[in-house]
Amino acid sequence: MSTPAGPTAYTELDLIARAQRGDRHAYGELVRRHRAGVVNVVYRMCGDAHLAEDAAQEAFVRAWQHLPGYRPRSPFRNWVYRIATNAALDAMRREPETVDLDELPLADSHAGPESAMMRKERAGLVRQAVLSLPPASRVVLVLREYEGLSYREIAEVADIPIGTVMSRLNYARSRLRRLLASELEIA
Amino acid sequence: MTEHVTAWLEAYHDGELHGRRLRKVEAHLECCAACRLELERLRGLAVLLQSAPAAEGLASPDRFVYQVGLRLPRRPAQPVWQRALNVGWRLAPVGLLGAWAFVQTVLVVAGVLGTAVQVGLGGDIAAGLLSVSQGASGESELGNLSGTGLSNLLPAALGVLRTGGPLGWGTTLAVALLILIGVLYWSWLASWWVRRRHLTPKGS
Repeated sequence: MSTPAGPTAYTELDLIARAQRGDRHAYGELVRRHRAGVVNVVYRMCGDAHLAEDAAQEAFVRAWQHLPGYRPRSPFRNWVYRIATNAALDAMRREPETVDLDELPLADSHAGPESAMMRKERAGLVRQAVLSLPPASRVVLVLREYEGLSYREIAEVADIPIGTVMSRLNYARSRLRRLLASELEIA
Repeated sequence: MTEHVTAWLEAYHDGELHGRRLRKVEAHLECCAACRLELERLRGLAVLLQSAPAAEGLASPDRFVYQVGLRLPRRPAQPVWQRALNVGWRLAPVGLLGAWAFVQTVLVVAGVLGTAVQVGLGGDIAAGLLSVSQGASGESELGNLSGTGLSNLLPAALGVLRTGGPLGWGTTLAVALLILIGVLYWSWLASWWVRRRHLTPKGS
């Protein structure tokens, strides 16, 4: 006797349709599929793992509430990313101290080999530099560099024209190149 | 050497250039060391950005899904009237086709009976049935209308209203119904097409 297929066997459109009808298991599978991307976007936006996890959960809750109005004209991922970036900005507004650049660990005193310490230090500098960008440019940079979205997809997520995506990306990269000039020379 | 392509280097680096512009940038990069260096810097920045690791110490996927599930508010089920409306919308074309078939059948039957009366078949029964769907003096009313002056227009119009025009009320009503059914059916098809476009993801 064949058993009914679990949510993992469904296509994304099936899961969305089921979740729109109130199926929590289907929505759970959607959350599972997009968790990593959403958490990554939020983490790159705010620089704090726990805040990122909380904001990512908040984003999925908001997505659930607005799911009946979602139409799959654009990919679900882009739609959730849009909600996630807004949730990240809200979380940063609520807890601005989490973006305090001075609190970010630049080096680990317990680190072993020197190269590992340098890598950690470099990662801290990069994170600081990204967090110093204005939120509007940061969103565009994070979606491009860490999630690999195309200009069109970024425009859709951020709800801005493609020309604005290009100019914000250009601004973010120029600023990062100035801030990270010494690291870029070493690399 | 061709003009520098600095303005398009980022789009090139991001794989966003296509066609003629892509070939132009590629051709320029082959012969311009300054633009190649600029491109290398962009690539270096991308590598450096990737050196910052992803978040660590996060909950497992299962735990994350569980935690989200705990926070999900109960979403009210779709109201009964909305569900009924959805079912009605889906069944609308079947109903319209049924109505169209019914009106067509009535027209055919009326035509057959009319012919039977004209050739003298069926007698009183057919005449009785036809009196419901046809005016008694439809053709004469049309003649009256074309020949009347302005003073006789009102009585003629009243006559048309009373009899239903040259075709009689039955036929006029049937034709109007057919037109209405046609309009409703095409409207439903148009709305179905629009709805389908909304439900279909881009690029699929």
